[in-house]
Amino acid sequence: MAKLRVPLGILISSDGPYTVVSRSMLCGALLGIAEGLAEHGDLELDPIIANPRGELARYSTMASEMLSSGIKHVIGCYTSSSRKEIIPLFEKADALLWYPSHYEGFESSSNVVYTGAVANQHLLPLVGYLLDCVGPKAFCVGSNYIWAWENNRILREAIGANGGAVVAERYFTVGCTEFGQVIETILAARPSFVFNTLIGESSYQFLRDLRAACRSRGIDQAREIPVASCTLSEPELEAIGPEAVDGHITSSVYFSSLDTPENDRFVKAYRARFPDGPVVSADAEATYLAARLFARAVREAGTDEASAVKVAVARRSIMAPQGEVRIDPETMHASLTPRIARSNLDGSFTILREATRPAAADPYLIRNSSRFGVVAIRPVLRVAS
Amino acid sequence: MTTYRLIQNFRRSQGLLWAGPDLNADVLERTLLKLGVSLRRVESVSASDLDPDRDIVFVDADQQINPAPLLLPGANLTAAPVIGIVGIEAPSRLKLLAEAGATAILRKPIQAATVYSALFLGVNNHRRLKSAETRLAIGDRKRRGRRFLIKAVVTLVQARGLSDDDAYAELRRESMRRRLDLEEFCESLFQPESNFPGAWPAGLALSVSHDRGGSAHAKDAEVERRDGGDDVEYGGSGRRTNQDRRA
Repeated sequence: MAKLRVPLGILISSDGPYTVVSRSMLCGALLGIAEGLAEHGDLELDPIIANPRGELARYSTMASEMLSSGIKHVIGCYTSSSRKEIIPLFEKADALLWYPSHYEGFESSSNVVYTGAVANQHLLPLVGYLLDCVGPKAFCVGSNYIWAWENNRILREAIGANGGAVVAERYFTVGCTEFGQVIETILAARPSFVFNTLIGESSYQFLRDLRAACRSRGIDQAREIPVASCTLSEPELEAIGPEAVDGHITSSVYFSSLDTPENDRFVKAYRARFPDGPVVSADAEATYLAARLFARAVREAGTDEASAVKVAVARRSIMAPQGEVRIDPETMHASLTPRIARSNLDGSFTILREATRPAAADPYLIRNSSRFGVVAIRPVLRVAS
Repeated sequence: MTTYRLIQNFRRSQGLLWAGPDLNADVLERTLLKLGVSLRRVESVSASDLDPDRDIVFVDADQQINPAPLLLPGANLTAAPVIGIVGIEAPSRLKLLAEAGATAILRKPIQAATVYSALFLGVNNHRRLKSAETRLAIGDRKRRGRRFLIKAVVTLVQARGLSDDDAYAELRRESMRRRLDLEEFCESLFQPESNFPGAWPAGLALSVSHDRGGSAHAKDAEVERRDGGDDVEYGGSGRRTNQDRRA
């Protein structure tokens, strides 16, 4: 029987403002492809790797080139802005984008397979934990784009509906590392926690500066003003550095410290293949998952036609490092297992709370929000700089 | 209050597709399903059958339709949100959508990524217009009732020697106690059965409806006339107040 040969585009920014996460995603993709090929001997994948360096225009150009060369499947994108930039190209070409990162939801393109978590799988469980165990007063700091805007809206509504409040929202350009003023404002406001939607180097610098400012005032930041997010992952803990790495609360569907046979095997295989790092992350696992799902689906479909692959990918679940995962044929989003964890000095996470079973994705929050938007109660301070 | 709250979750809403059989609604139907909205084709629409809290009408502007059934008799606003589906961008087609009260549009061929936006704008713009229309109606009613308020103030000033501010404050306090609009309450004071200002203020011999939606004419109101009360006539022309007689 002839081998099924399928080209696969990989569109991941190995350079740019969010390199640390992206590189772990690339490693996850390469491991997933290698294992997919090992599992399906009659399948041959030709990965074509492109590096948009975090520039939106390059995402568009490179995706166009891939699609016009006949590639029908691309694993890639980290930010929502890059994903939204190229989705029309995939819809026009009837190709499939395998999007392997958590995002804010409110999207369900029939030309995208979403293997990352949406708000009901990361943010809403985090709000529940913060209200139960930390406190009701939030201060939001984020990068000035859709991820932060929409997550802050959801947080504001969810927390407001449960008696909490957002005291301020501050937004910064992607890549910004000047946080002295906002940190002074945070220390004056003394929120129960900071909700952090900064990405990349901005996030790491903010965490370092906040910790240093608290330390100079004798404040135990991790205990008194913890920082919570839905993004922080293991390779980023390394990037933050030992001075400010511990005590951050993260909501995710995957942590490398998960104690399951599948994860143990995955982490060992990843470390063996990429001994120089970056270390395993939730985004690496989601990208690995996308590659494994793609390989299995295209093999079972016997073709790379998008419609056939979509049917195949939703046919049965897969045992991923995080647990059982299934793609919903209606929304093309993955059911994933929500978890809350706290970062440790050694760059790992300790899991604090875990769902007992995978949660189906609810990208439009139709099962997880009220009919009406909360009449909020916008924070007094809401600044974009 | 006539404030409106944004709807962002459309689960359990019902889309009514008023379109010819040649309109391909697959993308619309699939996308609405993801949003928790069902869709069914209809050949006609009647405003009286529409539920504004459930129904959303999708009108294909490329067919020849009469938008009048979307409006309730005497209303300027459609009974439920209307989203236009536009294929031919010609003035005649767009005029039809304007007349049909469309508050959002979907461009043909319908793209999945535009449906949530159209739903969000269509439904919430309709709610905003409905809220504005309600406010306008309240404003009109208040404007019509203003002359009764002025008459009531003048009557109390003349009959009881109050300042106009005190007269206004008393009328306002009494209307609030009865949970009536001030103008509506003042209009009721000048109904034939009323004994104003003879029985004013304590034990005012009026029993007007507490139903805020009730008629300002207080047709159900009962009037208790006090025997031996001030012999006061009031109301329309030809009636005289004590002040008139004193004058």
